[in-house]
Amino acid sequence: MGQLDGYRKVGTGQNVFEAEPVEGPLKWLETPQDVIDFVNGDDVEETIVLSRGGTTTFMAPALSSGALGLITLQGGPQSHLGIVSREFGIPCVMSVAFTEGVELPTGETVPADGSIVRLESTTTPNADVYVKEG
Amino acid sequence: MGEAEDAAAAFQPFLEQYLAEVPGGAAGDRKIRERITTPFMDITAEDVRLDSLTDEQIDGWQQYAAWNLWELIANRSTEGESGLIPRQEYETCAFVQHWSVYPRIMRTITEAIGVDGVIELGRTAHREVGTKLNVTRNWATPMVAMLGRGIVAKLGLEEPGARREDLEEVIKFARRLQFGTWGEGCGFVSGRGFVSPALDADVLARLAVDLDPLADPDVRKAFRRFNGATELFGFLLHYDNRAAMCDTGPYPQEDGGFIIVRDHILHERAYEWGACAEGLPYAVTEILSFKPGTDPLEVTINDISTTFTKPADYLKHLDAVAVYARDEQETPMEGLRRLGPDEQLAIAKQCSTTMLSLYQTIADKDRDQKIKDGVQVYAYEMIMPIAQRAGVWDDVKPQVDELSELTLQAWPTLCGGGAAEVLPPVFLLGEGFPLLSKVSS
Repeated sequence: MGQLDGYRKVGTGQNVFEAEPVEGPLKWLETPQDVIDFVNGDDVEETIVLSRGGTTTFMAPALSSGALGLITLQGGPQSHLGIVSREFGIPCVMSVAFTEGVELPTGETVPADGSIVRLESTTTPNADVYVKEG
Repeated sequence: MGEAEDAAAAFQPFLEQYLAEVPGGAAGDRKIRERITTPFMDITAEDVRLDSLTDEQIDGWQQYAAWNLWELIANRSTEGESGLIPRQEYETCAFVQHWSVYPRIMRTITEAIGVDGVIELGRTAHREVGTKLNVTRNWATPMVAMLGRGIVAKLGLEEPGARREDLEEVIKFARRLQFGTWGEGCGFVSGRGFVSPALDADVLARLAVDLDPLADPDVRKAFRRFNGATELFGFLLHYDNRAAMCDTGPYPQEDGGFIIVRDHILHERAYEWGACAEGLPYAVTEILSFKPGTDPLEVTINDISTTFTKPADYLKHLDAVAVYARDEQETPMEGLRRLGPDEQLAIAKQCSTTMLSLYQTIADKDRDQKIKDGVQVYAYEMIMPIAQRAGVWDDVKPQVDELSELTLQAWPTLCGGGAAEVLPPVFLLGEGFPLLSKVSS
């Protein structure tokens, strides 16, 4: 888990399963309506989504619609979301503690929406999350 | 570090080992056994029929159950918040309801069908797939009631030594179901090497004929989609719990490979929102065949019938499958229907479409209604399949439906922020299982 040229490491989390790295714009999902709007929009399959909890049901439409990758701020690989992301084969890194980004009203730090994020999900138990520079 | 980080760091050893002393897995099973003087989690043909239990037997079972629960939960203890369903709130309220009514219902069931009848219900896992009367219930039915006991003690609503006879009933009932499934020996999957090969060989052999190979990448992709869509829909239909899924196995095969048998329940009519699943079979069952390979999988199944592997992406190693539908809950095993690729595709599509509409339906409900729905699901799921088969569900359902005085007392605290505080000590620190030797009645 070293450095990548052109990217900045912004966090590490628990990786659900070993998968090829994925890279795409990030979208923070706070509410069920955010999730519904997201799956009704464009670019679902090119987008990495980020949620607070590690529960399956909140992210269910994103899983079903084939989001490119999942990041959570809470939860572990044996949580419901971990189990189901594995079934769909969607890379999922959980309980990521971000070191930089924007601060949410609830106090958590996350990369800004639209940042190009890379899940280096090739390793378990942990995997790094990068933001593309520039 | 801030206060929250300090607290998290202090708690970390308790996530890594039970009471920061006993590990998980097979090593933990061995170590916890060294601490239990009366290993009542182990069952014999004689003691499964006991009418009354000693304090030592009850405490021995509880000591093992406390470690077992930690083992199961620790890795997902920080599952965290759901933006859709207030899961911790409904879960904790339901536990109290379980403790309030399950012991009485267990007595009713035993009176109706006898001890042998309860053992026979536990045998269902040998002969049937696509049923909720499975290994998960062996574990969950007693465990949820025990957790309710722990929560009401934690909240000071009941003395932990109170209702000893109900505690005894729960353990007797659990052991009879477990004995029906496994016979003599440990009643918990964690004490059986974390494998759960419940099906009889002749039943598996009938299901595992003419398996469909997955060599074609498109066929593999379509099956993966079917598996994911049906599992996800089952989760949502059951308000984010595993009541809809059950894996058994691994079943070793002559060629060195193995089979996992997986159920996903898709159409539960007990719930008002279950009508959305009209047209879907009651359950689908997947026969998942893995060939021996150069990169062998290490497979474990836990007490709530979930498969974990190393490496984790086990579906990459899947070699062939067969998929069946149990169209109605009452469909006999002989009536199971093989599903071809076209029907699998249609079911996956319906699950995905219906999941989106159900998601919107749930999102539109207010928080209180979501908690009530969740309590109903949890309160039904761990006893309904057993009571239905025993022929007493219609009689006992009103007891499950009507929230007990104890549940109503606990509700404001648990739904007002208390659930998140109560769950960690109850789930992870053994406080869900007050030992009789340490409490006064």
